[in-house]
Amino acid sequence: MADMDVRVDDRDDRRDRGRNRGNKRRRDDEDDNHYDHNERNDRRGPQRRRRDEGPPGPPRRRFEEPPLAKLRRLILNIASSTKLPEDEAIDIVEYLRDQYDDEDTRSGFFDILVQLIVEQPFKIPFVAAVAFYGNQVKPEITVEAMKRVGDRLQVALNAGQWREFKLLLRFFACLQGLYEEDGIFALLGQLFDTVVDLQSANENDVVGIELVKIILLTIPYAIVAGGSRFHEKAQELLNSTGIVAGNMLPMEALIHAYDTESDDKVIGYHSVIGLLQQQLTGESQNGWELKCIPRFHVDAVRRKNPEETLPNVPLTHAFPTFTIPSPVNPGPKPLFPEAYFSLLADQDFGTVPRTNDIASSVIRDAIVDTIDQLDFNREMVAKFLVDLDCYWSLDTFTKRGIAFDKFREAIGDKIIYKSEDMVIDAIFSELFKLPTPEHKLVYYHALITQCCKVAPAAIAPSLGRAIRTIYKSLHVMDLELTYRFLDWFTHHLSNFEFRWRWTEWLGDLELSNLHPKKAFIVAALDKEIRLSFAKRIRSTLPEDMHSLIPERLDEDNSPDFKYDNQQTPFAPEGQALLHQLRKRAPPEDIQQTIDRIHEQATELGIADVLIPSTDAFVTAICRLGAKSLSHVLSCIERGKDRLLNIAQTSEPARRQIVASVVEYWKDQPGVAVRIIDILLNYTILAPMTVVQWVFGEHMGAGEALAESWTYEMVSNTVSKVTNRNRQIASARLQKGLPVEQVEMVEATLTKDRDNARELLKYIEDAVRGVAEGAVDRLIEKESSGELSAEDGQLIKAWGKRWYTVFVRKAAIEESVVGEQAVEARIKLLAAEPDAPAGAMQEDANGVAEQATNGDTEML
Amino acid sequence: MRAIKNTIDRLDRPSSYASSKNRRRNRNREDEERRERTPEPEDKLKDATTLYVGNLSFYTTEEQIHELFSKCGEIKRLVMGLDRFQKTPCGFCFVEYYTHQDALDCMKYIGGTKLDERVIRTDLDEGFAEGRQYGRGKSGGQVRDEYRSEFDPGRGGFGRAYADEYGDERDYK
Repeated sequence: MADMDVRVDDRDDRRDRGRNRGNKRRRDDEDDNHYDHNERNDRRGPQRRRRDEGPPGPPRRRFEEPPLAKLRRLILNIASSTKLPEDEAIDIVEYLRDQYDDEDTRSGFFDILVQLIVEQPFKIPFVAAVAFYGNQVKPEITVEAMKRVGDRLQVALNAGQWREFKLLLRFFACLQGLYEEDGIFALLGQLFDTVVDLQSANENDVVGIELVKIILLTIPYAIVAGGSRFHEKAQELLNSTGIVAGNMLPMEALIHAYDTESDDKVIGYHSVIGLLQQQLTGESQNGWELKCIPRFHVDAVRRKNPEETLPNVPLTHAFPTFTIPSPVNPGPKPLFPEAYFSLLADQDFGTVPRTNDIASSVIRDAIVDTIDQLDFNREMVAKFLVDLDCYWSLDTFTKRGIAFDKFREAIGDKIIYKSEDMVIDAIFSELFKLPTPEHKLVYYHALITQCCKVAPAAIAPSLGRAIRTIYKSLHVMDLELTYRFLDWFTHHLSNFEFRWRWTEWLGDLELSNLHPKKAFIVAALDKEIRLSFAKRIRSTLPEDMHSLIPERLDEDNSPDFKYDNQQTPFAPEGQALLHQLRKRAPPEDIQQTIDRIHEQATELGIADVLIPSTDAFVTAICRLGAKSLSHVLSCIERGKDRLLNIAQTSEPARRQIVASVVEYWKDQPGVAVRIIDILLNYTILAPMTVVQWVFGEHMGAGEALAESWTYEMVSNTVSKVTNRNRQIASARLQKGLPVEQVEMVEATLTKDRDNARELLKYIEDAVRGVAEGAVDRLIEKESSGELSAEDGQLIKAWGKRWYTVFVRKAAIEESVVGEQAVEARIKLLAAEPDAPAGAMQEDANGVAEQATNGDTEML
Repeated sequence: MRAIKNTIDRLDRPSSYASSKNRRRNRNREDEERRERTPEPEDKLKDATTLYVGNLSFYTTEEQIHELFSKCGEIKRLVMGLDRFQKTPCGFCFVEYYTHQDALDCMKYIGGTKLDERVIRTDLDEGFAEGRQYGRGKSGGQVRDEYRSEFDPGRGGFGRAYADEYGDERDYK
């Protein structure tokens, strides 16, 4: 009965797709205007109006859809309609057979086929079905498909484009039944031999791990397509991958999403390949059920056209030969071991596959690839994700949008999943991927927003459960991830009228500000205000939370200028400086005021007189520039020479610059963080200045470690340094760099690398001190009773969490720009043929994407 | 490498406005020559690092824009669109990044999402030039705000042209 429901429900969803086709049909051969063309125009009101205002001429003449456009439409939409996918595949094959003599059509079709494999992983089994049935109807189709996919696969292999390689390989796996002898298992065996070589050459090798992941993810598809005669082959392969998959690299200790020692963690650490190995071993013991992967009937063609005569025994094919390059190209991006992350798997919800279920890895892998390959159109990605159930076996999921409390009774004792939960779980696994996800974090923000727009009733409850699960265990989550969560949460709310049921967290307001939950709430409000304004955010909160937003923020005034208060030391001079800056007084006049501060400070016995004068000068700049960031920018520009001078004269005064900015903007730390960033760009501040101020003057007994903006400031500063080093390293890795430039770049890299090490070491030492409770101020405050024992513990826990983050960052940087890493890259570069090394670019997008980006005008 | 069309549309393409601006310019230049639709080497959008951002509220601040747009990369420069006469924000801005990739990512990830509770529009832009920060409408703001018949509290109420008419009517009655 449940199946029936799925169908009925889907029909509704799918009708939409039919409607859009009309639009596509007209344009397909000339442009890539797809479904979302209309949506985009909706955003651009005026254009659309203009289009509609045309004279109401005769109805557009219906034209015959050109063959290539029709084939494109058919294959792009495979498995997305109410038709049986196998019938669709056969339709495509038959239509293609009839058009096969036209070279452009043929060639264009295979272009699309290859691209579809790489861009829309969900559809690979269905695309393979086209080649599978092609073998019965016109074997040339299969031969050509294998050749074209094979060519692209070899390119991906040569370039170390592992994701594409994996996807193209999957296409071949799905045709396992058509090969002579061992088929794809021979290649998988060769790949594994390569892994052995890589691992024995380098114990920290990560390329081998990536290859093992690819091997393991290919096996299920090959077994489903090849049937029981390959069970033994798979088992052999599993026996050999076991050692590598069970191995733990040192780096893996640094990428745990949760404190593994804590019982409060949402999920323990599983390496992706370790988990796959376990799951596949389980499958091999249970007869390789692999239920979720779609199957195709050999007899489908005969059943569809009983009268047609087909060759009795379908052709078998030799598996194509591929060359595994030596040395293996590790690819354009640094590789890291991967952890399997799920918010919902180990909860007792049962809505997503448990971690011992192979479906968890197989479906997750396809979702994540879909998300990451198609980052250029989140609207379509959201649509594919909402349609997840179309692309797997019929009994894999419950009816869409089923309520959580109905889920259990609906499925009984069957193992069926809730697609929305799997989608949300997968997106969060990306958002929380350590060390970094494939794309900028904001992509995943936008994708979640889009999913909520496409299917609000279905997605929102799943999202709510994810948020609550995360919130509950914030205290044991990696600090970098809690920051990502904060950034996403607030950005997400800003897209949905800041609606959140805060009342359920009201109980936590009584917690100490040092408690991670309370710290999260405080930080979330600050972040919300940054994207909106205080009064608006207050209006979205329950009464009990209003006190968390200072009332003075409601008026849109600039923060007070402390020198307006006559009680403030140097008040007259502070006011004078503000006046002089406003009037653009000559530097000599300003110097006179500064000198007056210096004289008085000397009389007061202040050792470094530059400190009070810097405070007055910087505070005046902040006040004058309070109106907007451009204002403060132009004020800084005006005071630049003096500030640079201060920076070179006295380190304590340089740190005072940070202190004054932060103090002026204490109620809106976000502004302070931006200004500090600007000052770093001007080199008025050095990264070390910021860090020393944070862990010196600002840290106190360690309370500051609970402030999210402090973390933001430190991590921004560190990123600035590490980004620069990566740029220098990639400049070094240009092919054919002249010798004198090599020397120059290497000298810079050596120097800056050491600076980064020093910076990270400084942070590490400082926060380790807090974690161990060895900081003087902390000891003092604890023994004097100023800090409760509980708060002392909380502070140490913050120290530990900071420590984990910055130790990781240091290790990551070593693995990317450290001497060893760069030398290894240089060697590979030398081994490469002299062709332009496009793949070495560190850009976020691969070669293929660059090529496709440029074709806008080539119609 | 042969360019292969993506299987779905891309969100990081310039709008018809931005690209036609380019095409128009090229057409004028090559008028005499046979137009074979050659790829345009001088396509200024090819390396664009600047975005035009539209449909902002008049009240949205630079800080808010920074907060959102820096999620796509460090911002090099932010130029607020101003009313030509009043020199107050009039609902658009230019955001300049350091890299083309950041600008493309912004098209993909931020365009069409909300800032200050309004769906904003982003478009690749050939780069800011002095003077372009001002509205080109008759009354100083953006042209679209002259004739808007819907009430939009974030953008000064009714379209200005209408606002004047209504004002006149009220005077007569």
